[in-house]
Amino acid sequence: MKWKILYLRQRISFFPMTNLKTIIVISKDVVLTSIVDRLLKDSYTIVDFSTIQSSLDYIYSSSPDLMIIDISPDDVFAVTLLNEIKSDPIFGRLPVLAVFDDQFVVYDWDSMLIDDYLRKSCLEVELIATVGLCIHRAERMVEVNPLTRLPGNIAIIKQIQKRLDNNEVFALAYADLDYFKPYNDRYGFSRGDEVLKMIGRLILNTVRQNQAHGSFVGHIGGDDFVFIMDMEYIEKTAGEIIDNFNKIIPTFYDYDDRARGFIESVDREGNKRTFPFIGISIGVAHNRFRKFSHYGEIAEVASEMKKYAKCAGGSCFKIDKRHIESVNQRAL
Amino acid sequence: MDIQLLRSQIEKIDTLPTIPSILKKLLGVIENPKISLNEIGTFISNDPVLTSRVLKVVNSPIYGFPGRISSVNQALILLGLNVVKGMLLGVSVFEAMQKTMVGLWEHSLGCAVAARIIAKKKDLKEPEEVSVAALLHDIGKVVLGLKFSEEYKKIISDAETKSVFIFDAEKNFFSINHADAGAWIAQKWNFPRSLIEVIEYHHKPHLSKNVTMHTAIVHISDILIRAKGFGFAGDNFVPVINNTAWQMLNLSESDIKDILDEMEDSLSQAEDFLLSDD
Repeated sequence: MKWKILYLRQRISFFPMTNLKTIIVISKDVVLTSIVDRLLKDSYTIVDFSTIQSSLDYIYSSSPDLMIIDISPDDVFAVTLLNEIKSDPIFGRLPVLAVFDDQFVVYDWDSMLIDDYLRKSCLEVELIATVGLCIHRAERMVEVNPLTRLPGNIAIIKQIQKRLDNNEVFALAYADLDYFKPYNDRYGFSRGDEVLKMIGRLILNTVRQNQAHGSFVGHIGGDDFVFIMDMEYIEKTAGEIIDNFNKIIPTFYDYDDRARGFIESVDREGNKRTFPFIGISIGVAHNRFRKFSHYGEIAEVASEMKKYAKCAGGSCFKIDKRHIESVNQRAL
Repeated sequence: MDIQLLRSQIEKIDTLPTIPSILKKLLGVIENPKISLNEIGTFISNDPVLTSRVLKVVNSPIYGFPGRISSVNQALILLGLNVVKGMLLGVSVFEAMQKTMVGLWEHSLGCAVAARIIAKKKDLKEPEEVSVAALLHDIGKVVLGLKFSEEYKKIISDAETKSVFIFDAEKNFFSINHADAGAWIAQKWNFPRSLIEVIEYHHKPHLSKNVTMHTAIVHISDILIRAKGFGFAGDNFVPVINNTAWQMLNLSESDIKDILDEMEDSLSQAEDFLLSDD
């Protein structure tokens, strides 16, 4: 389901043509603006504004890569506006580099949401390096799932699309848990979160142990996880994840439940019944036998394979074995 | 000493040092780029201090499931190779009390070997959990010996000259014994409840509530390994087996014979691990 929504959204491109990065500069100080322009204009696209309010329309419509703002902390209006921009999650990731007078000291970083600062007297020496670092840092910070700290949806999509665009052959695995809901109902969501954190670590380490470089692990949300590997490692890794998972999961149950080997909880219709321990199902799609151009297509196949794995019962994984011809034939 | 004060002193201990022979081998393990998680796991499971270190980190709130993991292999899977290697880099050495400590290491390792054999014999689902508990049952001795090294030396010599058990000598001096101290530190390090309970009650297995079988096995293993004369737990004589534990395990004479036979092989390997130079 989540994949579907993402699939529809995808037409808004996540991959704009790579032009120069855009920096907006907000300052009334002509000397400062000219220094910034002179130092940065060869490497970046610079857009100047004299006040933050005049820049808003530009920020909201073009989402620049960095904002350099010459700001006096007494300018309450400007600080409030800046904080409002930064507190919107969409723009919170826009790095803001403030330029301060030399005397100025900030005591409370909560009241001014900036990412870095420079003093006016240091501009000539430090500006280029600081701007470069700010932009790099913002790019390094992929959005992560707060629970597992693994990369989230946007980063996952980028990973998949990048590989498809580069014509790499790879395997995309989609994992989710079986009987997770009854566990949550029985023990409460904070214990459920413990299980999710555990599975995040387990997948990450098992994947890295089998393929240290070029692999990827992401957390879509809830009990849905994704990992990407080269074809040659996927089968062994998926098998190990399942084995390790089955060994560890009993320790997340209370002693008496563990001894019984099942729990009592309520099903979706509200009836009391017994449930087995949490299992894990993994579906694997790959582009060895057929070509995908869009991440949504390969994600869809991984999701199908996962459903197929679920039907098989117990923890298991299923790898897509179909060739494009057979898929087409079936469609006819 | 006031018990609260003693407890807070002990809880301040952050990491325990290991014995020199282990450290020497450890460096070889860390420097080997081809070592697998399994090999590191086997190495760590042979040392009480390294084991407690790994369990402490994996059960810390940082990973988000405190009090859940009581097996070394599971801990390593969740921590990952880099974290484990990094963690092992910071291990230090016991210089003081070297002789006693080597004896204690052998005793702990022997106890872990015996406990694993018995746990398998009794068809327990997780023999490794029991063997980890056995490996760590005397961790309180390490803790006391580290924090109060002079006093502890005196306790050991007192126990010998007055012919009393080490836990009685500890009790006379501190008004607590190593089982209490071990349980405190295990609690502080967020060890799973089952592990804390075995450490706390390994001399009084009838008091264990949740993991009676585990505690009974470790209790019996402790005594068996002393009787076998493997390692040195600080006492010159063997304590009496607790009746509740004995009945719970319900071992026949041939069971015991099997256990002792199997122990023989495993113990010589354990001894090699601890004392050999390579």
